[in-house]
Amino acid sequence: MKPLLHSFSMFVRQIFKDSMLAVICISTVLSAVLIRFGIPRLELFLCSRFDRISILADYYLLFDLLLALLAPYMLCFASSMMMLTEYDEEITGYLAVTPVGKQGYILSRLVFPSVIAFVVSAVFLHWFSLTVWPIGWLVLASALSCAVSTALALLLFSLSHNRVEGMAVGKLSGLVMLGLAVPFFLPASIAYLFAPLPSFWLAKLCITRNLLFLFPSLSCTLIWLWSLSWKFSRKIR
Amino acid sequence: MIRVENLCFHYTKQPLIQNMSFTVDQGEIFGFLGPSGAGKSTLQKILTGLLTTYTGSVVVNGIEVKHRSSHFYEMIGVDFEFPSLYEKLSARENLQFFSSLYQTHQEIEPLLESVGLLQDAEKHVSDFSKGMKSRLNFIKALLHDPALLFLDEPTSGLDPTNSKMMKDLILREKAKGKTILLTTHNMYDATELCDRVAFIVDGKLRALDTPHNLIQSRGASALRYTYLEDGREVQAETALNRTGEDGRLHGLIQENRLLSIHSSEPTLNDIFVELTGRVLE
Repeated sequence: MKPLLHSFSMFVRQIFKDSMLAVICISTVLSAVLIRFGIPRLELFLCSRFDRISILADYYLLFDLLLALLAPYMLCFASSMMMLTEYDEEITGYLAVTPVGKQGYILSRLVFPSVIAFVVSAVFLHWFSLTVWPIGWLVLASALSCAVSTALALLLFSLSHNRVEGMAVGKLSGLVMLGLAVPFFLPASIAYLFAPLPSFWLAKLCITRNLLFLFPSLSCTLIWLWSLSWKFSRKIR
Repeated sequence: MIRVENLCFHYTKQPLIQNMSFTVDQGEIFGFLGPSGAGKSTLQKILTGLLTTYTGSVVVNGIEVKHRSSHFYEMIGVDFEFPSLYEKLSARENLQFFSSLYQTHQEIEPLLESVGLLQDAEKHVSDFSKGMKSRLNFIKALLHDPALLFLDEPTSGLDPTNSKMMKDLILREKAKGKTILLTTHNMYDATELCDRVAFIVDGKLRALDTPHNLIQSRGASALRYTYLEDGREVQAETALNRTGEDGRLHGLIQENRLLSIHSSEPTLNDIFVELTGRVLE
């Protein structure tokens, strides 16, 4: 366990030594504060300006879902950027022949950050959400957001050869978050075109609060995780 | 220290390592020689436990590698061909981090001093030259004082001074009783450093012996000389162990007519080409 903790602490240290990644982590907190305190004020301003009862309030749940997914996504993005740096510097291969090992590397670079991302997501939803979240749904949304973000981290690392490519793939992977908005704005007949996106099912589940949607949501996320972990394993072999 | 029996390995249907068997004794420098793509790196990955889907038996320090635990890595040190260091950290910070992963630790200062990097300990690795990075990478593999060292092309890309320094470091570790496995396609390094070498071609072991025996197996070294005859330079050759029988050479020496004289020993590369029909470099 000691090598794992040392490896993880180096990972955290490297993130904070990298100003871009440090800003990404800090910007997550700022975004949460902006959503919690900025959006309601903006809603008040817009309603009074356009003489409407509500404009943004109908989409508070969408903001909450964004909040739930943003923290894990940003943390996992930082994690994959760090892994790409280590891959460039040949450290990934070297750690595999130390007591950290391949499994330890995966734990310290993917699983530990994902667990932290889950906690951060749950805390954000609890403190900064605009709608009311029963504890069970809060945990479920955070866990699914975390799993989706881990899949995106795998996608970023597996499809990029270096940090520059990682940044480009990172921008593309942000499109996966679009799935969150689909059930809010598109009719069901068109919305299901976005069914391959795990974020679509996350939104669907949270809008309907119907556990039946848990099955496609979990399946979709697990398929992403499974197929990308295969690519990930091949890359670090 | 190492016992490999009937080792076979394949990524695809095409076998990459075929029926390989050899042993490496404690305190020995054992070299794997072969051209690129021969299977040297794959073999090293198997020996270091990175690839465990092999058939046959690979026992390192009494442990069957496919059943290794993380403790296995306390006993081995690996120096890959390319430095694996955190560029944004200093040399000392790198060593402190990698050292923290092990139960056994060596003092960092003497290690840095031994490779002439003590003065640069606080410099970021990104500011290091290739030679400095190679030396730092080498002592990184020694941090936990492993009994077995795996070195992959340790002198690759180094200038003659740094190459000499690296070879001295390797010999110093051998003198401490460490077992060293050297993967290289540099025949000069192998001749200079290795107690025994194994030729690997297309995943097969083609020969295994001491460099001296392999060279001797090719036959006697030759003596080449040139002299003037009718105003023209003539070249002649005789086997080194039969120079006494070369009357012409004797006559030329007595008449001081030799223009040049050189002994010419076969190299490991010659032996390799002869045995495999391939070149090392």
